[in-house]
Amino acid sequence: MRQAGTYSGMVISGKTGPHLLPLARIKKIMKKSGEEVKMISGESPIVFSKACELFIKELTQRSWMVTIKGKTRTLSKEDVASAVLATDLFDFLLNLVSQSAPAPLHPKPPN
Amino acid sequence: MVDEQERLLPIANVGRIMKQILPPSAKVSKEAKQTMQECATEFISFVTGEASDKCRKENRKTVNGDDICWALGALGFDNHADAIVRYLHKFRVAERDKAAQNKASCSRNSQDKDEEESSEDQQPHQQADVPSNSKLQVLEFSH
Repeated sequence: MRQAGTYSGMVISGKTGPHLLPLARIKKIMKKSGEEVKMISGESPIVFSKACELFIKELTQRSWMVTIKGKTRTLSKEDVASAVLATDLFDFLLNLVSQSAPAPLHPKPPN
Repeated sequence: MVDEQERLLPIANVGRIMKQILPPSAKVSKEAKQTMQECATEFISFVTGEASDKCRKENRKTVNGDDICWALGALGFDNHADAIVRYLHKFRVAERDKAAQNKASCSRNSQDKDEEESSEDQQPHQQADVPSNSKLQVLEFSH
């Protein structure tokens, strides 16, 4: 299992900014996520900027694994879709990528 | 008319994060960046929904950083939750220090909104050489 230190080594710089993602946009997205989301603490978008960064990096890495199997050097949207399909954790993205999904390389076993 | 792009995370920022983790020679198609943009946006909505549910059940109105960390753990992003709890702690400590400093020098506290892709930040670059055949040891939390 990956050491938490490796992630926290990335995110803990002792400073909280600059952030890689715009906080106002994150806040906007959070508010749109549901009627019941009314108030958001100031730190929430900052937490999300890190969480999104980790998420993007992870999905990118998994997608790249698919890319290089195809022996190309260009990461395509189909590679992203394949990575989503192959990862249980990303099931919430299935609808989003279903249009881009090629035939799955490895059919998921039923749960 | 709401600009679709306004509802998503900025593609330039998303693209830059992607490049940080890929080998230097890697290319990313524009459509892949768009897909990632949508996925990351959906990720925010998904986790926020979970966090706000918790707040609702506990009769709290404000979604805070701890709720987000909890939601990340509850949804299976365990590794992220752990790292982010630490980050949040550091952030809070930094904020306390900042507040203490601000008291000394009247609040000219500018709103810290980084809207645009800022210049080089000091975060260490994890230019991963992704070895072709290695398993994804780094990110292992599918059940």
